[in-house]
Amino acid sequence: MGGDSKYLGLWYVAPYGIGLILFTAFPFITSLYLSFTDYDLLSSPEWVGLKNYEKLFTRDRTFEKSLKVTLTYVFLTVPLKLTFALFIAVVLNYRLRGINLFRTAYYVPSILGGSIAIAVLWRYIFAEVGLVNMIITGLGGEPINWFGEPGNALFTITLLRCWQFGSAMVIFLAALQSVDRSLYEAAAIDGATPWRIFRHITLPLITPVIFFNLIMQTVQAFQEFNGPYIITQGGPLKSTYLLPLYIYDEAFKSFDMGYASAIAWVLFTIIMVLTLVAFWSSKKWVYYAGDKRN
Amino acid sequence: MSWWGGDSRHQATQEALKVCGDKHGHSISPEFTGWSGHFEKLTTQIAGRTEADIMQVNWPWLSIYSADGTGLADLKELSDKIDLSNWDEAQIEAGSMKGKLNGLPVSTTGRLFVFNETAWEKAGLDLPKTWDDLIAAGPVFAEKLGEDHYPFEAAGLDAALVVTLYGTQKTGKPLIDPDTNEIAWSMDELTEAITFYKSLVDNHVIPSWKAVAAAGNVPLHEKPEWSDGRIAGTYQWDSTYFKISDPLQDGQNLVYTDLLSQEGQKTPGIYRKASMVFSISANSEKKEAAAEILNCLLNEPEGVAALGSTRGVPASKTAREQLLEVNAIDAIQTEAQDRVINAKGPGIHPMMEFPDVRSAMQDNLELFAYGEIDAETAAEEMIYAINEALDDIKS
Repeated sequence: MGGDSKYLGLWYVAPYGIGLILFTAFPFITSLYLSFTDYDLLSSPEWVGLKNYEKLFTRDRTFEKSLKVTLTYVFLTVPLKLTFALFIAVVLNYRLRGINLFRTAYYVPSILGGSIAIAVLWRYIFAEVGLVNMIITGLGGEPINWFGEPGNALFTITLLRCWQFGSAMVIFLAALQSVDRSLYEAAAIDGATPWRIFRHITLPLITPVIFFNLIMQTVQAFQEFNGPYIITQGGPLKSTYLLPLYIYDEAFKSFDMGYASAIAWVLFTIIMVLTLVAFWSSKKWVYYAGDKRN
Repeated sequence: MSWWGGDSRHQATQEALKVCGDKHGHSISPEFTGWSGHFEKLTTQIAGRTEADIMQVNWPWLSIYSADGTGLADLKELSDKIDLSNWDEAQIEAGSMKGKLNGLPVSTTGRLFVFNETAWEKAGLDLPKTWDDLIAAGPVFAEKLGEDHYPFEAAGLDAALVVTLYGTQKTGKPLIDPDTNEIAWSMDELTEAITFYKSLVDNHVIPSWKAVAAAGNVPLHEKPEWSDGRIAGTYQWDSTYFKISDPLQDGQNLVYTDLLSQEGQKTPGIYRKASMVFSISANSEKKEAAAEILNCLLNEPEGVAALGSTRGVPASKTAREQLLEVNAIDAIQTEAQDRVINAKGPGIHPMMEFPDVRSAMQDNLELFAYGEIDAETAAEEMIYAINEALDDIKS
C-alpha cells in the first residue's frame, strides 16, 4: 500500500460518491433549476423565473389545501406515533417470559406497513362493512364512514402510519436498555414512584433518542405517499391529498415538471426549517451524557 | 413494441408478434405493463427517446405526444406497407394530428348503459329507456328490495360523464367544442346538468358520493354490492364488459340498452372515441419494418387471429370480418359495439380526457355532491378551472 494509502480511502468511497453525485446531487440541483422553468418532459425547459412560485403562493388553492392537510397530518402523526412507540417500548422493556417473541411481533408492521398490500388491507379493514365497523356495530354502536367523511379519512390514514411504530419502538427499546440500572435502584431506595422514575430519570436520559426519532419520523411523515394514494387517492374533498400526491399528479399526470419541482422545493424548505427549529430547541431539552454544557 | 393490458392481451400480443415476425423476417422485443403508470412510463420514454418502434397509445395522448403531427411517425407515408383502406375517413381523422396520421385506431369504444337485468326483474321493472324511467325506479328499488339497493351508480368519473351526457343531450353540443377548443355550454346549461346529478341522489337512483367513498378507492367491479346486484346499473366503456360481468354472482345477467333519452333532447349524445391506436415512433430507424409488423397485427390473417378480440372489436374492416367469421368475438361484445357505432352524438374533444380537465369536473362535482357549494358555484368553478386547463394545454 505504502504511499498509495493516502488515496486508498477515496477509492473505497468512490462508488458511493459517484452514486451520490449521479442519483442524489444531480437530480437535486436539476430540480431546483426546473422549478424556475416550464417543462413538460417532451420539449425543452423554458425559463419562467419565479412564475411557478408566484402561482403557488398566490393563486393555487389546491396547494393551500394540500399544505394544510400535510401539516395537520404531520403534527397529528408524529406525536401519536412517538408516544405509542415509546409506550410499547416501555412495556417490552420488562423482563417477561417470551418477551423476545413480542418484540419481534410488534416490529412486523414496520416491515410490512409501507407496502401496497397493507394499504389495500387497511382499505378493507376500515371500509363501510369492514372489520372495524363490524366490531363497532357488534358492540351496539353506529357504523362510521371512515373514508367518506373528510374529517375521518385523514385520521384513518394517520392510524396506518402510527401502526408502523416498530422502527421507532426498537430504537426506544435500545435506549431504555442502556439506562444505568443503578439510577433506578437509587431512586427506588429514595421512595420514588414508577411514574416519577420514568418522568425524571428515564425520559431525560433517552432525550437524544427521542430527538432522533422526532426528526426521522417528521421527515418520513412529510413524504408519505403510499397510504393515501392507495386508500383514498387523496379524497374525499382532498382531505387526504398530501403534498407528495400533489407533486406526483403535477409531475406525472399533468406533466408540469417545473411546477412539481417548485412544490417539491417548498416541501423541502418546510422540512428543513422544521428540522432546524428542532435542532435549535434541542439545546433546551436534549440531554447528552458527558456533555459539559448540561 | 410496447403496450399495456391484462394477461390475456399480453399472451395474445406476444404470440402475434412471433407469427408476424416469422412471416416478415423481423424479431420484435415485447415490452408490456398494466394500465397503471403506463402513461407516465411512455411519456418518460418518448422524452428520453427510448420508446419502442411500435407503441400502443391511448387516443387522447396523441395530442400530448404530437400536437403538431410530428411527434410520431406519419403512417400515410408508410401506406405502401399498411393497408389504410380498412379504416373509414372518420377513423383516419381520429388518428390524425394536423393532417398527419399518427395512430391507427385498433378499436372503437364508447360509454354505454349496462343493467343487471336480474335485479330489475326482482324489482318488477322493465329496463329503463328514459332518464325518467330510471328516476322512477329509484323509490321502487328502495321499497321492494331494500334501502341498500339502487338501480344505478355514478360517482367520480362516472358521475362527471353522466353529467356530460345529460348536458350534451339537452344542448346538442359537446362540453368542449372540438372545433374551437372552447367550452360550448353556457353557465346555465352546465348548472342544469350538475343539478340533474343531485336529482339522481335525491330519488334513490344512485348512492351518494359520500356513501361510495366509504369503501375507499375501490373500483365498481370489485365491490360486493355490484357482484350481488344491489347496484343494478352503470355507465361504462363497452370494452370493459368482461371486467364488469366476470365478478357477478351466478344468476346475475347483464344487458346493454340504448342510451337513456330525455324529452326534447337534441342528440342521443354518445361518448365515443378510438379506444387506443397503434403508432410508430418518429425516432424509429426501422419504420418500414415496423409498418410491416403493424399491418400484420391489424390486417393480416395470422396477426389478427393471434390477437383475437383482446383489444375489443377490431376497427380494421378485414380483421373484424375475419374474427366474426370464426365466432372469435362474443355476441354481447358485438352487440355493444354496434350500439356504440350506430349511436349519434357530437365529436368528443381529446382534451375531455386530459387529467386537468377531468379534475376540474370531478373536483367541483364532488364539492357539490358533498353540499360544500351550490350548483351555480360548481358550474362557475368548473368553467373557470376547465378554461385554465385548456389555456395551459394550448400554450
